[in-house]
Amino acid sequence: MNKYIRTSLAGLLTSTMITGAAFAAGTHPTTGEALADDQTFTYRILDEHSSVDPQVVEDVSGAEIVRDLFEGLMNQDEDGNLVPGVATGYTTNDTKDVYTFTLRDDAKWSNGDPVTAGDFVFAWKRAVDPALSSPYAWFMELMSIENASEIIAGDKSVDDLGVKAIDDHTLEVTLSAPLPYFPQMTTHSTTFPAPQKVVEEFGDAWTKPENIVSNGAYVLTEHLPQERSVRERNENYWDNDNTIIEKVVALVINDENVALTRYLAGELDRTEVPAGQFPRLQKENPEEAISFPRLCNYYYTFNLSDGGPEAFKDPNVRQALSLAVDRKIITENIMAGGQPQAYTFAPAATAGFDVPDVEMASMSQAERDELAKELLAAAGYGPDNPLSFEMVYNTSEAHKKVAVALSQMWKQKLGINAELANMEWKIFLEERGNQNFDMARGAWCGDYNEASTFLDLLQSDSGYNDGKYNNARVDELLSEAKTSDDAAPLYTEVERIIAQETPVIPIYHYAGVYMMDSDVGNWPVKNVEQNWYSKNLYKTAE
Amino acid sequence: MLAYIVRRLLIAVPTILLLIVASFFLMHFAPGGPFTSERPLPPAVLANIEARYGLDQPLWKQLWDYLYNIVVHFDFGPSFKFKDRDVNDIIAQGFPISLTYGSLSFLVATTVGVSLGIAAAIKHNSWIDYLAVGLGIAAQALPNFIMGPILILTFTLWLGWLPGGGWNGGQWPYLIMPVIALATSYMGSIARITRSSMLEVLNSNFIRTARAKGLPTRTVIWRHALKPTLLPVVSYLGPVFVYVLTGSVFVDIYFSTGGLGQAYVGSALSRDYAVLLGVTILYGVLTVLVNLLTDLAYAWFDPKIRY
Repeated sequence: MNKYIRTSLAGLLTSTMITGAAFAAGTHPTTGEALADDQTFTYRILDEHSSVDPQVVEDVSGAEIVRDLFEGLMNQDEDGNLVPGVATGYTTNDTKDVYTFTLRDDAKWSNGDPVTAGDFVFAWKRAVDPALSSPYAWFMELMSIENASEIIAGDKSVDDLGVKAIDDHTLEVTLSAPLPYFPQMTTHSTTFPAPQKVVEEFGDAWTKPENIVSNGAYVLTEHLPQERSVRERNENYWDNDNTIIEKVVALVINDENVALTRYLAGELDRTEVPAGQFPRLQKENPEEAISFPRLCNYYYTFNLSDGGPEAFKDPNVRQALSLAVDRKIITENIMAGGQPQAYTFAPAATAGFDVPDVEMASMSQAERDELAKELLAAAGYGPDNPLSFEMVYNTSEAHKKVAVALSQMWKQKLGINAELANMEWKIFLEERGNQNFDMARGAWCGDYNEASTFLDLLQSDSGYNDGKYNNARVDELLSEAKTSDDAAPLYTEVERIIAQETPVIPIYHYAGVYMMDSDVGNWPVKNVEQNWYSKNLYKTAE
Repeated sequence: MLAYIVRRLLIAVPTILLLIVASFFLMHFAPGGPFTSERPLPPAVLANIEARYGLDQPLWKQLWDYLYNIVVHFDFGPSFKFKDRDVNDIIAQGFPISLTYGSLSFLVATTVGVSLGIAAAIKHNSWIDYLAVGLGIAAQALPNFIMGPILILTFTLWLGWLPGGGWNGGQWPYLIMPVIALATSYMGSIARITRSSMLEVLNSNFIRTARAKGLPTRTVIWRHALKPTLLPVVSYLGPVFVYVLTGSVFVDIYFSTGGLGQAYVGSALSRDYAVLLGVTILYGVLTVLVNLLTDLAYAWFDPKIRY
């Protein structure tokens, strides 16, 4: 272990010592802003979360709550950079397949017990345990932890998992393959510790407010399913002195327009802006309507499997369709929330990803349309032999608007008949997963901030490759990227190939489009994964 | 009468059973399953989950186990979506909420609707009649998914009088809008049915007789006309009662009440089989019971009906 990486903590520790008293005076320790007396942050969630069990949670709103209740080895700061969590730092060996984390000795559970390396070992074994059957067990496989796949498949015992507690404050992880971005993955909720005693005592009910014990900056104090969940400051949290927000309330409001009305009535500090309403809201409330890039893409995929349409087997046809999409109309007139136009599969916001110079991006729309017509004619389609296909999307107002626009663009520019078909979510997934489509909508949000989380979707054996795109060179580059120290050029090449072959039509990349009360300080707009921590927020006095 | 009730309850058993079996198979034949997701689970992970919930068993075995657990343990199974709650928890949490705002809506819709209808019939072709009919039609044309947003915009955003949603244990400020939203269109229908029924009754021979022997109008209305008037209203109220008691998905969505309506629709969309079946059974049992009550009420309203 000759490479020693340690995240500097000196600055953080100093600020901890001097801040304790500052809050009493009602000013922010670093910015000096006057703080509001009521430090309650209330925000809207679309749907009831599935669980607040770190190893089980599978939805975004649940993960947001879990990130406040529990703390993993590493956290992210406002910009998405890795900062110490329960671990103060880590070391790795030359081959990057053994990571050793040093845990801080003042980390405590909300019941006062110390947080130890054993709590992580317990949690990680739990995540892969077939008995728990976590829907996120695959994340442990993705992390390449030794024997994770074999344990999930039932071929090995959970005790064979490549993680062990050297002592109470040293955690050693052995990987089945080197993984340069392994530490980034420890900010994911599946890797957070779990309190063994509590889990064993209460079983599935351990996450109820009356039972739960957690090690994050907050504890769960109330949960009314389908209505709200409340978390409050954890006095035992090691960095409690630096926490400003006292109480966080997540309100379940299914309808986004109702949520917006309640926001405007002052009941919420944050809510999402429904598609198309951003320009109006920004005009009326310039300080509160915010938009920033997110780590998600929105695309249509061709069915390239044997059962797919013959026409789509010709790259010229695929490229013509992609060229004819006027992304500006979709981002500016339909979504209208500051979404960037997409010419690559991975968003430009992805860390360490150099957006390649894709030819299409630098052309004018008129040039693109011209080229599209030529390509389509070369492929043998035209007025005498019009191309027709069906495009499917899951039922939603916004998806429908985009699909209608796409089909109109193709109709007007290329004379193509694209028939629209919408399906209820689960049916859509089933049909798309079984290649029962010509062209289908897709969207993907990164599991971690690295281009492979997107590009792996186009690997021929990926379970998420619903279009069944298959290119040996892409597979090769992607598997090389897994262990490479500098994967950026490899990803760039993959994107170039994708731009040429067009197995998918990237349309736009997501933006986080929120109404955010101007009292809320330090919302991490630069954290593209939107991994936010309530402990880093504060509310200023009006 | 008692024999009739017992007989009806006995018939209910195979009815409910048929409902369970039909729902069970329809549910399983719908494309997609509880664990179909945007990120298809690796086969080994999926196999573990299915084994945990018994979904790897043949369908007939799953159905048998399900029925066995209900009959022997009164256990309606786990939720596939919400890991720390089972179906019993979900019903225990959502049903009292739906029951509260539902019964209040029922009460409001019935009282206001019947009063409006009677007033309109008695003052036939007067301004009261026109006003009542106008109100009734307007109310009927305002289903709860229209009323919801209108109420929130008016009372929360513009006037700032009422909270825009939530339940908070059913405190009254949180109850007003859900109750109005749910009651309005039923109130309209009830008013219209009551009015036309009352008009018909007022034109019948026995009312003419009552009037002819010099009874005051009030007595004629209350003692003689009201009961037969309510007969068609009662047959309308039966199904409405079940509907409002089990909650409305729109009210739950617009007012974040946390009632059973949202849980029911949500479970269908997420293929949360056990929750979907559990709530279906609850609705089935309620329907059977309320139908029985309605039939018994007929006998009270119309002495000619005997069981």
